[in-house]
Amino acid sequence: MKTALLSGIAGLALTATAGSALAQDWTLEGAAEPYAGTTIDAIFLDRPGYRAIIELLPAFEEATGITVNYEILPYENSRERQVLDFTAGGDIDVVLVDLVWIGEFAENGWVVPISTFTDNPDLTDPELNLDGFFPLLLEAFGSWGGEVYGLPFDNYSGLLFYNRCMLEEAGFDGPPETWDALLNEYGPALTHPEEDQYAFALQSLRGETQSADSFMRVLWPFGGSLLDDTFHSNLLSDESQAGLQFRQDLMAYMPPGIVSYDHAEAVNALAQGQAAMITEWSAFYSTLVDPASSTIVDCLGVAPEPSGPAGRLPALGGFSLAVASQSSEEEQAATWLFIQWATSEAIARDYVEAGGVSGRTSIYEEPDIRETYMFVDPMVESWQAGVPEFRPRFPAWPELSDIIAEWGTRMMLGDVSIADGAEEIGSRMEEILDAEGYYDGSRELLQ
Amino acid sequence: MAAGPDLSKRTPSAAGPDLAKRDPPDAAQAEAGMQAKAAAKPRLRGGRIGRWTPAWFVAPAVAALLAIGIFPLLFALVNSFRSYNLTRTRGGHPFIWFDNYADVLTDSSFQDAMIRTIGFLVTVLPIQVLLGMGIALLLHKPGVGFLKTLTRLSLVVPMATTYAVVGLIGRLLFNRDAGIVNYMAAQLGFGPIEWLGDADMAYVAVALMDIWQWTPFCALVFLAGLTMVPNEVEEAARLETKNWTSILRHVQLPYLLPGLTAILILRTADILKLFDMIFTMTRGGPGAATELVSVYIQRIGFRVFDQGAASAQAILLLVLTIILSRLYIRVVYQEVQQ
Repeated sequence: MKTALLSGIAGLALTATAGSALAQDWTLEGAAEPYAGTTIDAIFLDRPGYRAIIELLPAFEEATGITVNYEILPYENSRERQVLDFTAGGDIDVVLVDLVWIGEFAENGWVVPISTFTDNPDLTDPELNLDGFFPLLLEAFGSWGGEVYGLPFDNYSGLLFYNRCMLEEAGFDGPPETWDALLNEYGPALTHPEEDQYAFALQSLRGETQSADSFMRVLWPFGGSLLDDTFHSNLLSDESQAGLQFRQDLMAYMPPGIVSYDHAEAVNALAQGQAAMITEWSAFYSTLVDPASSTIVDCLGVAPEPSGPAGRLPALGGFSLAVASQSSEEEQAATWLFIQWATSEAIARDYVEAGGVSGRTSIYEEPDIRETYMFVDPMVESWQAGVPEFRPRFPAWPELSDIIAEWGTRMMLGDVSIADGAEEIGSRMEEILDAEGYYDGSRELLQ
Repeated sequence: MAAGPDLSKRTPSAAGPDLAKRDPPDAAQAEAGMQAKAAAKPRLRGGRIGRWTPAWFVAPAVAALLAIGIFPLLFALVNSFRSYNLTRTRGGHPFIWFDNYADVLTDSSFQDAMIRTIGFLVTVLPIQVLLGMGIALLLHKPGVGFLKTLTRLSLVVPMATTYAVVGLIGRLLFNRDAGIVNYMAAQLGFGPIEWLGDADMAYVAVALMDIWQWTPFCALVFLAGLTMVPNEVEEAARLETKNWTSILRHVQLPYLLPGLTAILILRTADILKLFDMIFTMTRGGPGAATELVSVYIQRIGFRVFDQGAASAQAILLLVLTIILSRLYIRVVYQEVQQ
């Protein structure tokens, strides 16, 4: 009798507003009812994770009556577009937060902490399950100063993609375990400049590609880092220098002109058989298994990035989605519903099958997913441990990134020595951090 | 900018001889019409147009200029005296007067970018002027009318292409492995040239794209200048001498100088603010090899979001443009002696 009554009430709650007292009866449709007809504006990139969510979007719009109005931007413009929008009081509701922007966006108060919504049972799915995200991702992409702002949406780990056939031909039965082996064993055996074949390609184009993909990638595995505990430059330490020297040595086994390689060129070098190995974001898997863009579909192998003297510390990157503080209360609620849905466990399978990379642990425990997508195991392994501050996430990072990008490429070109370049980056960087107030104790040392 | 008024007075005579020839009767008619219409009122004021009438005619243009030109300029000027970072909202944007200028002028990256830009200017501009002059002289020769029309039309294509697209085309053309430039080089027996990955070659590649895009502009301006030379004078000169260089020097050059001044001013301003093409082609790299000053300013203004420093840099760039323009007018420009 009691249960029948309860389900009757639940039925009413479904058609009326969300039944806040009955958490187990929460539905997206019910929660969204007060916001039907709301339009929210989002910034997307032209990458597989966004194409996947766009494919799934009609289901959300139909269920909720909320319209998601998205604009697709190149990555290089996306921060500029959003910062200008926030400072000028624009209309973006769904904020796209790159791992390295979280400090800036949070400290400027441009994004709303999710506790605003999780405290409201009308809005929050009881199955939100924040613990179901990889802890590293939630911490690195979405959190700042102990507060969660965004939910991991477009998730990357650096992976070693390799051409199994080329490796076998050269007598290797697997990919290198360490960076040292890659340089000293695989490098010479796989490089044949006369046939335009090279062992490795490390995308190093000036820009975030140079600073994040190339420069930082060789610091951590060798025990180095950008900053020490007091936020002063650590680039002149033996470990950091060893990492940078390693990159210089490795250039002997990379295609000439590697400093003009962006992601597209590096992926293409592997896809066309010019390079035997690359370390790239997991998101490029779909490009490499597509026969239209890859000639090595049957030869493709995927492994975690090689480890260095300090262990396996692969590149970490990705985006979370957060709610803009400039939006009206209604838009904020609608935006939260969208973000919650897009990163939910419920759609994780559809999202992965449409080409996205979910940040949920449960989906990668499914045997068929692990079998179909060979990047899953190495990626999950990479996400078990890592440094959230692989690139510092404080507001000054874009400024530092530019300095690293300029002097990092000049180092590779031999324009300046590694020591001189590191010193130049260090002094310019410390000048900025000093102005930011990290040295006089006026600011907490968060990265 | 300061060059504006001078140019606007003088360029109509340089722009198009055909127009100039046709203009007077039209203008006279229009003026007559206007006077006829306004006949009632002006008669009261002694047959003259009302004092404020001309002001109303120019008002829309002035208002537009104020809104899209002068206001942002003044805004940038004010910002250049403030500590104004868009991403550091706390603490406001206090006035720091000349600190931004001092920082900019002692910033070695800015100096390098400035020197690189001036170097780029003195490399590509003479090449564009000489090639443009050559093309104009060839097109000015009598005969093969159809082909010349075709050439004139195709000259417009590079100019009409958006800078950003030119940069993307450049990225494809100069691609080491798949680019047509290296394919041609291979046909001629040269090994693959590392265009975009080598500091010097990237600079050359960017310069080549700029030359490709803007030589036609020079050619068309010079061609217009050449058609202004009165036929009788030119024919008389041809009877006098077969030496084309002396015809060029004594007969044609005076007509080309106003156009040349316009080219110098426009191209200088363009190159000082050249951004899109380089950004899409090399992003200022490798290293800082192709980072011209406007690419650097964009970096400070929209990556670092330091509007104060970026405004100071832009103002300095504007001052430089004005100085160069005045210099061109003083040195190169001479009134055509009729």
